[in-house]
Amino acid sequence: MKKILTLVGVALLLTAPLAHAQLGTSTGTTTVTVAPVAEAALNITNGSTPLISSGTNFTNYTGSTGLTYFIRTTQSGGSGSITLKVTSDFSPANGPSVTTPPNTGDKLAYTCTLSGAGTACTGSVTSSTSASTSVATFGADAHTVTFPGGDTETTAWTLTNDPKYKTGSYTATVTFTISAS
Amino acid sequence: MRLAPLVVWGALLLAPIRLEAATLTTTQTLSAVISPLGGFFTIPSSVPLTKTGTAFNNFTGSLSIPYRERTTQSTGGGTITVEATADFTPVHGPSIASPPSTGDALTYTCSAATLGTNCSGPLTVSTTKATNVVTFSATECTGGGGSCSTANPNTVTVNFTLTDDPKYKTGSYSATLTFTISAS
Repeated sequence: MKKILTLVGVALLLTAPLAHAQLGTSTGTTTVTVAPVAEAALNITNGSTPLISSGTNFTNYTGSTGLTYFIRTTQSGGSGSITLKVTSDFSPANGPSVTTPPNTGDKLAYTCTLSGAGTACTGSVTSSTSASTSVATFGADAHTVTFPGGDTETTAWTLTNDPKYKTGSYTATVTFTISAS
Repeated sequence: MRLAPLVVWGALLLAPIRLEAATLTTTQTLSAVISPLGGFFTIPSSVPLTKTGTAFNNFTGSLSIPYRERTTQSTGGGTITVEATADFTPVHGPSIASPPSTGDALTYTCSAATLGTNCSGPLTVSTTKATNVVTFSATECTGGGGSCSTANPNTVTVNFTLTDDPKYKTGSYSATLTFTISAS
């Protein structure tokens, strides 16, 4: 009888600690980490930009292109820009041309207006098919002011109304580029 | 003549005594009270939120949480919840309590819970209250199959999304999330 009771007691002792080893903790933590970097994005709000001449005395053609942009530049040493380039000159031939206008002085030029982060281009800028030209610049630690809507920029175009242009419809392609570092 | 009885008595006294162990049985009642219980195993120490592309699309990341659960038969229940016990630091980056733009948020969805019902989402992580990840009903249990789950431990996946607000200054930021499991 004594031997039987001793065996039962040992069995109970063996069982109890195993039950505690199976328990987990009722709370647990994790650290969520994120590292925002310099970023830039833009959208053109116009489907197209018609240039229109009002009046009859060869007044210049004018029109405007709207942009919505988002920018974040590096806190220390960062910078950014918005530029544009005429990536496809007016076609068909015999109308306006950015590369080879019928008259010296004919040009497609623009001014810039910003609402938000950055510094707009200064004065009237002549567009080019061979080089990008400035629309806006950003310094270090620049951030979009309006989010999620985005900051806005308006490019106001002027195209010389040269009488040498043959009548008809002509189109060119302008590419806007935003960058951030 | 007197010697004979003595001899007899002596013989009787000296006769070998047969030793037989007496068998006595007794019983002991063992009892165990099985209580409802929930517990986590090792939750990953960090969940990095990352992104692809540069168009201010959201940061995302996922976390798989291992757990065990046992709820009371017929009347029990339980939950796994999450709460931000420390907001993002340092300042000037994302914030759960005070985001730089209305609409910025750390949100999550839940999927693939192998025991219980995972949250539907997206839900917004809060620094002031715990929000649901998994809900357990009565008679739920981990492991062994049959009326319990096959998987042991169970797991649930939490998928996080964080707004990429341009107003965040560049740098590294971290927040602490605490998960809590309960059973009744």
